[in-house]
Amino acid sequence: MENAPTFNNSPWMRYGVRPLAIACFFIYLTSLCTLILQRIFPYPFLFLFFVAVMASGWFGGWVAGAMSVALSTLIVQFFFVPPFYSFSVSQAAGPYFFSYIVCAALVSWAAASRRHAEDVIRESRDLLEQRVQERTAELQHSNQELQQSERNLRELTEAIPQQLWRADATGEIVYCNSHLLDYTGRTQQQMHGSSFFEILHPEDLAAFLDAWTAARESSDSARGLEGEWRIRGIDGCYRWFLIRAVPQRSDSGAIECWYGTHIEMEDWKRAELALAASQAQLAHVARVMSMGEVTASVAHEINQPLTAIVAHAYACLGWLKAANIERAQTTVEKIVQEGTHAGAIVTRIRALFLKGEVRRTRESMNRIILDTVRLLRDESIRRHVRIRVSLDSDLPLVDVDRVQMQQAILNLAMNGMDAMEGFPTGKTELLIESACGEDGDILVRVVDHGAGIDPGFITRIFDAFFTTKTQGLGMGLSISRTVVEAHDGKLWASSNPDGGAILHFSIPAPQRETGTP
Amino acid sequence: MTVFIVDDDASIRDAVANLLETEGIPTRQFGSAEEFIATWRKNMPGCLLLDVRLPGITGVELQEKLRQLSVAIPIVFMTAHGDIPMVRRVIKAGAVEFLTKPFQKEELLDGIQQAFERDTEQRRQGALLDSVLSRYRTLRPRELEVMAQVTEGLLNKQIAANLGLSEITVKLHRRQVMEKMQAASLADLVRLAAMISASVSGSSYTKV
Repeated sequence: MENAPTFNNSPWMRYGVRPLAIACFFIYLTSLCTLILQRIFPYPFLFLFFVAVMASGWFGGWVAGAMSVALSTLIVQFFFVPPFYSFSVSQAAGPYFFSYIVCAALVSWAAASRRHAEDVIRESRDLLEQRVQERTAELQHSNQELQQSERNLRELTEAIPQQLWRADATGEIVYCNSHLLDYTGRTQQQMHGSSFFEILHPEDLAAFLDAWTAARESSDSARGLEGEWRIRGIDGCYRWFLIRAVPQRSDSGAIECWYGTHIEMEDWKRAELALAASQAQLAHVARVMSMGEVTASVAHEINQPLTAIVAHAYACLGWLKAANIERAQTTVEKIVQEGTHAGAIVTRIRALFLKGEVRRTRESMNRIILDTVRLLRDESIRRHVRIRVSLDSDLPLVDVDRVQMQQAILNLAMNGMDAMEGFPTGKTELLIESACGEDGDILVRVVDHGAGIDPGFITRIFDAFFTTKTQGLGMGLSISRTVVEAHDGKLWASSNPDGGAILHFSIPAPQRETGTP
Repeated sequence: MTVFIVDDDASIRDAVANLLETEGIPTRQFGSAEEFIATWRKNMPGCLLLDVRLPGITGVELQEKLRQLSVAIPIVFMTAHGDIPMVRRVIKAGAVEFLTKPFQKEELLDGIQQAFERDTEQRRQGALLDSVLSRYRTLRPRELEVMAQVTEGLLNKQIAANLGLSEITVKLHRRQVMEKMQAASLADLVRLAAMISASVSGSSYTKV
């Protein structure tokens, strides 16, 4: 009976035959029972017909209910309403019979509607269940797909020949691929929760933290950090890596996690360092050679007029002895000519120190300093010197020859690094500062922690060819001074109270148009 | 005797010429080695005052070139910066003196004096050799053979046996040789033979 609504969908079957059969079945059953009970008890058991009507309405629906009401009415009237065995109704039994019909109809209606309501509920429950099953299946499927894609992604991270990691906002590693584990010789559990900073070279830590902080505090939310730093391997050796990390930010801008990659560049770096070293050597040799050539050419150029002067002077003596005043005079005139010529040669050679024309453009001194520091990067790493920069961001722009100014700062910085040669690694820091002077001048300071300057030399260190170094030419600071003075500035030195020396120079700011770099 | 000044710097040439003029020494000036080669003739006595650094053919190259041409003019070098290997090289190759600019008058005059003396000596030797050679060329073939063997120290008897001649004939040839070569003694003849063999190549002398 449960399947009744779907048993047969034909309307004739659904609203004709089946309800009639149900109604007949129950009424017939009830009639039999009632007739038997009638024999035992003297009172008519009409309430049994209510049960039949109710059962018909319950199992057969509205139509069966109505049919059973009609059938039971006929049966009751014929058998149990006086006069018995007749279809006529006596006056006295009229209200009784009528109330029976009404009650039967009500029972039938109540049962059928109750049944209908239950059917509707069951149907919708079934539908709901079906939907839930469908959704569950879908979810299971997509979950499998997700797992598969995560597995693929993980395999991909292993396939990439780079070290990958993910860290939380504080820098603690959450995941890293096997390349990183193999390299560091740690397990996933050991790496988990440990700080990324632990595997970095101590000398690189400060620079890395600077970059990290800069990336974290950057207004550009997509900004990550990138740099070349050293990471400790399983063997305890540090190797060079190109380290890149990008933060993932929430909608509010807070960093949720970091994704990082390391590209090993040890071989490349070694080659680069070797190249830089040989370049530096080559540059030094070239400088020495060019200086040697300059000296030789200076000697030759000056010697020619000197030789002529000496020879003429001897000749003049000879003419005077011979009392040939006329020849003596012309000879002296030639001596004057040659002397003047020698003076001109000296002037020309001095002009050579500032090669090329001065091309002044409006520049940011801070930019020039940063560019110079970039040029010095490899050299500073080679010498284990950390270069720190402290810049005044409110400096006015200046009219300078960019290349010459870089050369001047470079020489000062190289001088500072030379001064710290052989000092313990931890102490070798070179500070390059920019500041605004009281009268609007731009001040640049190069501070080292090296050997310092002998007080006896402090006025001589800027002289050409003055050097205290065995390898030096004594040209660096001299060139710096020439450049600074060509820009109407001043260059001077002082002792660093913390040990070492400070080289200062000032460049006057232009009168108008100030701006921040 | 003339000083041939070769320097690309006109003021140097001028000054040196001026100085030498006060000493009464005649000079001729050349701006380059090529100019000098084009002008100089064997009949010009004197010496060469040569700058090491020259455009085109350098001073050192000129010295080498003159040696190849068997030009024996004495050379006084001058330079602003002479390194020791170069000085050794040019002195070994026969340079008289090496002056470093700026040089003193005495250094210059000493050098030139030495060079002049060497030129005079060379010219004297040259003239002597010329006369010896001209005398040598008058010898007949048989006399040349006899002279070669005599100066080697062989006896007349041996020479006669070697050449298949009688001892008398050898004596006659020998007297003829002494006469033609104007040699006073056997020692004199040996000296002349040595001069000839030094000027001409030795092999050609013995084969004659």
